[in-house]
Amino acid sequence: MSLFGTSSGFGTGGTGVFGSTTTDSHNPMKDVEVTSPPDDSISCLAFSPPTMPGNFLIGGSWANDVRCWEVQDNGQTVPKAQQMHTGPVLDACWSDDGSRVFTASCDKTAKMWDLNSNQAIQIAQHDGPIKAIHWIKAPNYSCIMTGSWDKTLKFWDTRSPNPMMSLQMPERCYCADVVYPMAVVATAERGLIVYQLENQPSEFRRIESPLKHQHRCVAIFKDKQNKPTGFALGSIEGRVAIHYINPPNPAKDNFTFKCHRSNGTNTTTPQDIYAVNAIAFHPVHGTLATVGSDGRFSFWDKDARTKLKTSEQLDQPITACCFNHNGNIFAYASSYDWSKGHEYYNPQKKNYIFLRNAAEELKPRNKKW
Amino acid sequence: MGRKKKKQMKPWCWYCNRDFDDEKILIQHQKAKHFKCHICHKKLYTGPGLAIHCMQVHKETIDGVPNAIPGRIDIELEIYGMEGIPEKDMEERRRMLEQKNQETQKKKQNQDDSDEYDDDDEPGPSFQQPAARQPQAGYVPPMTQPGMLPVGSGTPALPPGSYSGIPPMMPGVPPMIPATPPVMPGMPPGMIPMGGMMPPMMPGVPPGIPPPMGTRPAITHMPQLPPAAGVLPRPAVPAGPSVQPDVTKPLFPSAGQSQQTMSGSPHTPPSTTSDLAKPTFPAYTQSSTGLASPNAGSSTVSKPPSTVTSKPATLTTSSATSKLIHPDEDISLEEFRAQLSQYQCSIPRQGQTTSAAASVGGMMAPQQHSMRHPIPGQYGGPQQGMPGYIPGRIPPYIQAPPIVPPVYQGGPPRPTIVTRPPVMSPGGHY
Repeated sequence: MSLFGTSSGFGTGGTGVFGSTTTDSHNPMKDVEVTSPPDDSISCLAFSPPTMPGNFLIGGSWANDVRCWEVQDNGQTVPKAQQMHTGPVLDACWSDDGSRVFTASCDKTAKMWDLNSNQAIQIAQHDGPIKAIHWIKAPNYSCIMTGSWDKTLKFWDTRSPNPMMSLQMPERCYCADVVYPMAVVATAERGLIVYQLENQPSEFRRIESPLKHQHRCVAIFKDKQNKPTGFALGSIEGRVAIHYINPPNPAKDNFTFKCHRSNGTNTTTPQDIYAVNAIAFHPVHGTLATVGSDGRFSFWDKDARTKLKTSEQLDQPITACCFNHNGNIFAYASSYDWSKGHEYYNPQKKNYIFLRNAAEELKPRNKKW
Repeated sequence: MGRKKKKQMKPWCWYCNRDFDDEKILIQHQKAKHFKCHICHKKLYTGPGLAIHCMQVHKETIDGVPNAIPGRIDIELEIYGMEGIPEKDMEERRRMLEQKNQETQKKKQNQDDSDEYDDDDEPGPSFQQPAARQPQAGYVPPMTQPGMLPVGSGTPALPPGSYSGIPPMMPGVPPMIPATPPVMPGMPPGMIPMGGMMPPMMPGVPPGIPPPMGTRPAITHMPQLPPAAGVLPRPAVPAGPSVQPDVTKPLFPSAGQSQQTMSGSPHTPPSTTSDLAKPTFPAYTQSSTGLASPNAGSSTVSKPPSTVTSKPATLTTSSATSKLIHPDEDISLEEFRAQLSQYQCSIPRQGQTTSAAASVGGMMAPQQHSMRHPIPGQYGGPQQGMPGYIPGRIPPYIQAPPIVPPVYQGGPPRPTIVTRPPVMSPGGHY
């Protein structure tokens, strides 16, 4: 068994070669491996905004750290910097100008990491772990939004220790997304709340969940005019709901689809249903990617209502994913998400972040409707 | 859409109790889900047809209709669309629909259109729908909603255009916002641009408006179009953002109030949220209740109706046809994991961060002075703050077996802790 540094442990089938090119199931899609991945499960990934030249990727993990890599055009990844929390990092995001990274942790704090100075300071405090953090850039204000298991959604001016605003939620925040002027938060007990952010954040509507199982991930999508118009919501039951906020015909326009399930062709063997761990929309094409506990990622066209691609199965669940600002790179993280409980956790098992060229595979199909 | 009075109710599938817009779609559904050969995927027209096909072509017998709910798997009944449904089942259905109409205020908006999306790839049994839908005849997919919902309650079918694209959401800022509510209903999607084209379009809208408008109390503020023209400059958008599926008037004051304050001073968030919370909350809870109850034998959440404040209940993670790969507790995977003592804040991580940190240390040098907590040194002074940790165990290794039992709630049918030690080589960094 390996005792050194970041070499891969047993379970990969190989001799633990770092950056292995053998076709063992840790990288069946033969995607680019990010160097120096975190040592425990990766909870979140985010690429730098277009305001910054180049591509920088940040990833938070259960090892209490958040790491930053530069992704060069030739595919090489260079670890750049790292920050620590005192508890697992659950979410991270960039400021709109790419100069700062905000991180949220189980230690109930959120930090602002200035990349230029490589300093991080605490900017938020909750009574429970912070599960979601997003930067809001409005014409008349900018702030950080944090959603926590303490059932509150707080907004912070990073210069003040007290929140600018605190909104009570019916339940613990499980996931959130922000595309100005819209924010969506999905909570425990299948809660779903939409907020509007113009002038100042306020609750806009509580929506009855289109899904029957625990909410797990949410991502807002935009219409042809680049305005947020709805969101995709994923649950633990291998299903994603596409929901428009104000569709002309909700019954026809909103729908759900099944994903991340095993076999099932033969009705005698029970079908394994996996959680959808993350959803990300391609910034240019508007198509979406889902990643699941089954260790696969899939690309979908929600307008044509078709699946574009499903990957091979990785040997670990895929816990996070994101696109870079121009949609050329799709990053996904392979690490254990606890979906099978404690017994299947192998701390020796290496965690991976893969990068894939996303320019072609996410092109929309022609509409069927 | 709307009621077509087919057999006096919307077309529904006898095999799985799902509702459909019209019979054509119902038949497509039946062909795809119930009359499809599992061997060659050929779509037949009826149950007996499928049975005959399997016998003649594949020499195989099938004993039940695929994806049918128990009790409705009879392969010999010749049912096509709505034809052939036994009269007593029709009666039962009618009764259930009436029951549901009375019971639930808000209709559920869940439609599993998996047929379109994953016909070839996910031919798995739609296990959920049968069980969930059967007792809830009123649980109709969104397609059928508009027709069935009482018109007067600001239905989801009449989104007032408050949110088409986000800009119109809050009032006061863009002048075009007030125009949207009148424009939305009845307008084809392509015709709802947000770019100031509203005024020209308004005159065309009135014909479509009166019926829905008349029923929405919120619209009383903007009666018909002619006055609506006068509405344009006025930030009379309360109808917009405030109209929610089940909330009409009550939302007005808060939204109106917040409007005025919106333009400058911060308003008190609690009042807004509590106003919003009151009308929506009961419905929200109620609908969840409705959903939670009839979940028998399928992979759904089974929890008491007091949804919001219930303690972590357990999920029903497996049924005959499917198995949710998820711990039994109805908490998120992260919550489940975070409970473990190894992840409690400031408790030493197991050796990884230091060594890993060291290996990437080159790049981290500048940062060391800032965020470097004593965490790297954690392996030195382990035992503080480790509740339940038995001293005398290998210090850095929090995952020693004794810790696990308190965390593990009722260990579901998997091999338990005994397997851990071999996996967890204590004492080694790696």
